Amino acid sequence: MTNGAAAFPATRREGSFEREPARRVFAGELRESRVHFKEGQDEKSPSFVLLPTGARCNRVFFVGTLTEKKRQGEQNLFYRARVVDPTGTFFVMAGSYQPEAMQQMARLDPPSFVAVVGKPTVYQTPDGAVLISVRCESITPVDKETRDQWVLDCAAATLDRLEKAASTPDGERARKEYGMDPAIFRKMAYEALAQLRL
Amino acid sequence: MDFSATAERISQKVVSRGHAVEKTAIETKLRRLVEEFGVPLGEAERTVTNELAREFSIQGLQTGGPGEAKTLDALAPGEWVTVEGKVVALTAPPSPSISQTGIVADTTAAVRFVIWSRANAPVLREGNWYRFESAVVDQYKGSVNLKVHSGTTITEVPAGGTIKPVITPIADLCPGIASVRGKMIQEWEATHDRILQSGLIADETGSARFVTWKEEGRERLNPGTVYTIFYATVDEFNGRLSLTLNTATVVPEEGDIEVNRGDTSFEGVFVHLAPGSGLIKRCPVEGCNRVLSRQNYCPVHEIQPTFQYDLRIKGWLDNGVETREVLVQRAETEGLVGMTLEQAREIAENTPLGMDEIFLRFRDALLGRYFSCRGREMDGRLLVSGCTPLRFQPERLADLLNRAGGSA
Repeated sequence: MTNGAAAFPATRREGSFEREPARRVFAGELRESRVHFKEGQDEKSPSFVLLPTGARCNRVFFVGTLTEKKRQGEQNLFYRARVVDPTGTFFVMAGSYQPEAMQQMARLDPPSFVAVVGKPTVYQTPDGAVLISVRCESITPVDKETRDQWVLDCAAATLDRLEKAASTPDGERARKEYGMDPAIFRKMAYEALAQLRL
Repeated sequence: MDFSATAERISQKVVSRGHAVEKTAIETKLRRLVEEFGVPLGEAERTVTNELAREFSIQGLQTGGPGEAKTLDALAPGEWVTVEGKVVALTAPPSPSISQTGIVADTTAAVRFVIWSRANAPVLREGNWYRFESAVVDQYKGSVNLKVHSGTTITEVPAGGTIKPVITPIADLCPGIASVRGKMIQEWEATHDRILQSGLIADETGSARFVTWKEEGRERLNPGTVYTIFYATVDEFNGRLSLTLNTATVVPEEGDIEVNRGDTSFEGVFVHLAPGSGLIKRCPVEGCNRVLSRQNYCPVHEIQPTFQYDLRIKGWLDNGVETREVLVQRAETEGLVGMTLEQAREIAENTPLGMDEIFLRFRDALLGRYFSCRGREMDGRLLVSGCTPLRFQPERLADLLNRAGGSA
């Protein structure tokens, strides 16, 4: 009698997946990230960038000032943009695999505050330099208040990561791979916060 | 095996009707049935009792199962029992091989019963008391059930006391039959053609889903009303309990109660707006309410040109560590995006992009912004009952500066 109703939650549960959270990370920290890895053999298993503060990161969220955008390519059209936060610059890309983001990008005019959700990727240039850019999933215009909220949010997240890093495997790994002084990121957070007071 | 206790019981019954009987003769008959013919003792007792009843022309001597009538709270799966109780509900039998199903209650508890068509049992009437002799207790979907088969004797008996159903706090429900007192707090879209209504009912201790299947004489509950529900069937699906109200007597109550909605709240940023957000069209068929495709197609009722518009948000709220799927209904949505359903409809009808335009406006109003959502978690999704935009908090800035500067 109730079989029909039971079937629905069961099938939905099977098809569910875990959405990766969007990490709050300052441009100054993301820029330092080099290590990227994939967990699991599956084609669809998520890939991660290891942040120097000791957390894996498949997706990022940041709010900053869009200072520059450029349309590039002929057959494979894509947008390249620079988004600046108090600590540095994010390099943002939106290509034909992100049609929504491309269209959002098309409607933006620098300079303006934007909120970006995207996936970080690590590139190595032919001359050996490592670059990190963010493949944009969405970029929306926001106001200054949202930017300020993000700075608080991101500073808090950075401090949280630093505190947890001592006791997590990812924290251990970050210490080994990067060997960076946690004080750098604490200072980065402090300086970002200090700018809000002005 | 010791047959003397059983023989004693049989002989006492016969003697009490004024006939003389040899106890050892009974014992011999029992022993023969059990040891020589492999008859279970309970059945042997029946056979011998029946035989004596015929011999002496005694009516109503039969007691099927071993021993006296049990109370319903003492039943254990696998037992053959004799119980007395009042039929408090009758339900439509789910299959032709079942002649009647319903609920029987005594002063201690209530259980489901099933009468197989082959049992040749009399037709039971709701409200009457019966004695079920040699019924079998089994377990079905985690709850105890009384099965009436061809070896069961059902006799009508005088009322055995006043039954006061025990009201179970919703947090303490377990599969079986239960009575609850709660407020209907949510009505859900029907997910099945045969569902008359489904939703949530809550009391001070918690909430549970309920369902009423379409059936003659069944009525919908009204949201916000408190009900006492006697003898609902409690089932378990995927670890969640669900009350089926088709067996129940539902009595609306005056007044209001404090309910525990099991609310959680979650603060974060909208990082993704899923398709199906914005202005949507719903199937107008009574009780359906499904979302229609762009071509007004309902998966059940096909093309529905006279759809109803609705507004909602389906998206992902993310706090940087965890991300949650949220579903926001129209009332809250209108406030969040600053657009009423009527305005959205007008915009959609007067712009080339139509309903997409509303999705785009929703996206611009929500994505990348901070919100606090409150609601109930269901299948990993937050069903939002309240949502407010978050503001910049200067006091948080001071705290964080201290924290970051503290050991720098």
